[in-house]
Amino acid sequence: MVEAVTTISTLRRLPLLLASLVFPSAVFAHRVDEYLQATLVVIDPGSLRLQINLTPGVAVADKVLAVIDRDRDGAISPNEAAAYAESLRRDLTLRLDRRDLELKVTASKFPAPAELRTGWGIIQVEFTAAPGRLAAGAHRLTLENRHLAAVSVYLINAARPRSDTVQINSQKRNDNQSTGEIEYTFHPQPERTTSPGTP
Amino acid sequence: LFGAGFGPGSLAQTSSKPGTPTAEIVAATNKFLATLDDAQRGKVVFDFKDNAQRARWSNLPSGIFRRAGLRMGDLTRPQRDAALALLAAALSPQGYEKVLHIVEGDEVLRKGGGGRPVFGRDEYYISILGQPSTTEPWMIQFGGHHLGLNITLVGEQGTLAPSHTGAQPAIYELEGKTVRPLGRETDKAFALLSSLDEAQRKQAILGFQMRDLVLGPGRDGQMIQPEGIPGSALTEKQRAMLLDLASEWIGIMPDAVANAKMEEIKKNIAETWFAWSGPTEKGSAAYFRIQGPTFLIEYAPQRLGGDPTKHIHTIYRDPTNDYGAKWWKP
Repeated sequence: MVEAVTTISTLRRLPLLLASLVFPSAVFAHRVDEYLQATLVVIDPGSLRLQINLTPGVAVADKVLAVIDRDRDGAISPNEAAAYAESLRRDLTLRLDRRDLELKVTASKFPAPAELRTGWGIIQVEFTAAPGRLAAGAHRLTLENRHLAAVSVYLINAARPRSDTVQINSQKRNDNQSTGEIEYTFHPQPERTTSPGTP
Repeated sequence: LFGAGFGPGSLAQTSSKPGTPTAEIVAATNKFLATLDDAQRGKVVFDFKDNAQRARWSNLPSGIFRRAGLRMGDLTRPQRDAALALLAAALSPQGYEKVLHIVEGDEVLRKGGGGRPVFGRDEYYISILGQPSTTEPWMIQFGGHHLGLNITLVGEQGTLAPSHTGAQPAIYELEGKTVRPLGRETDKAFALLSSLDEAQRKQAILGFQMRDLVLGPGRDGQMIQPEGIPGSALTEKQRAMLLDLASEWIGIMPDAVANAKMEEIKKNIAETWFAWSGPTEKGSAAYFRIQGPTFLIEYAPQRLGGDPTKHIHTIYRDPTNDYGAKWWKP
C-alpha cells in the first residue's frame, strides 16, 4: 500500500520532474503542473455571474488542450470553444439556498493553443444564472468546481456587490477552494407607490 | 542599469532627491520626448483616451505579452538616461529604487536562463498617454516582466493605481550587496502577523490556500469582498504597522501624492482589512492582502516550480480611482 502511494505520488509529480529537465530552473516564471481556475462570483439582485479565468500550466497544457481541440488541428474553433465552455459548465454546481441554478455561458475568450502551451495563456469564461425573484433576507450561495480536478487548483471569491441591496456576510471555502459558500443578505428597495395627486 | 552608467552609482544620485511636483515630472517627460525622433515619438505617445493602451500592461515578459510604446533596449544611451530621469522624477526615491531592483532582478533571470520568453533590462517599455501637462490629465506607463506602473497625473493629483510589482529572483546579489526588491513588504507583513494575538490571528488567517493574486493584471474594474481582520480589531500599534506596510506600495509615488493617499487610508483604517493565507513562520511563502474602501493590495508567492519565496507577485488597485478616473471621467 505504501509502495502504491509512493508510485502514485511520483507519477503525480512526473510532469513537474519532466518540466524541470526541459526548462532551466531560472526560467520557471510560468505555471507548471497545475491548472489554475480563478472564479469571481458577482452577485446582483437579479442575476448571478461566474467570471472564471483558467490558466493551464506548461506541463498540463496539452492535457487541457486535448479536451478543447477535439479535432487535433492545432486551432480552437468557435464550436470547440463552445463545447469546452459547456463541459466546464457541467463540472460546476451552483446552488442558491440548496436549489440548483442553471448556468448559461454568456462570454468566452480563448487564446491560441501556442500561447496556452507557454503556461501564460488565460482562458476566460463567464456564466450567468437567473435566481428568479429573490426574497428579502439571508441567502446561501454555494459553488462547486469539479473541472479537471486531478490537475487543478482553484480560487473562489465574492465580488464586492455593486448594489447596496446586497450585503455579503461571510465566505467559506474548502482547503483548495474547489468549493465555496457565500452567505449574503438581500435588502430590496421598498417599491415606490404612486398616490393620487403625486406628480 | 539599462546599460553602461546605470548601476548603484546612479541610484545613489537619485535616492537623495525629494518627491517632485507635477511640473518637474512634466519637464522631465518633455526632456525625454525631446531626445526622440519623430518615429519614436509616434510610438511612445498615445491619445489619453486610448483605453486599449491604458489597459495594456501585465506581469508577463516580452514574447508572451505584447506591449506598445518604446522598448528600453531600442533607445540610445542619452534616450535611456532621459527615460530613467523621467521615472526618477515621477517616483519617490524609494519607489525608483524598487523599480530598478525589480528590473535588475529580471536581468539576473536573463543571465541565468535566456531563451524565450525574453527577460532582462532591455525588455521594459515606456509610453505616455496624453500630453504632459500641469493641469490636464495624462499618464506615464512603464512596464515589463514583473512590473506594470500606471501613473496618472491630473494637476497636482496623482495615482499609481492599478500597478503591479513583482520579483524573481526576490533575493540576489548585486555588486557584493544582497538585493531584495520586495524585502520591506515581506518583513513588515511578517512583523504585523507576529504582533497579532491568538484571537486576532484566528480572524486574520484564512483557512484555505491562496495560489495566486485574485485581482492581478487583467482584472480591471473588479473588486472583491474584504476578508480577514478589520482595522477596528487591531491595536493602535498594529494599525500603525498596517499603514506602514501599505506605504510600501503607496510610497512608490512622490511624497506629495503618497502622503495624500496615506491620509485617506488612515481615515478609513477601521474599515481596512488584513488577511493572511499560508504558513506563519517568518520567511515562509505566504499570501497576504490589505483592503480598504479606497485601495487593495495583494502579495502572492508563486508556486511555479521553484522556491515560491523567490518569486513574488503583488498588485495595487484603487476601486474608487483606478487610472485616476474620478478626476477626469465625466
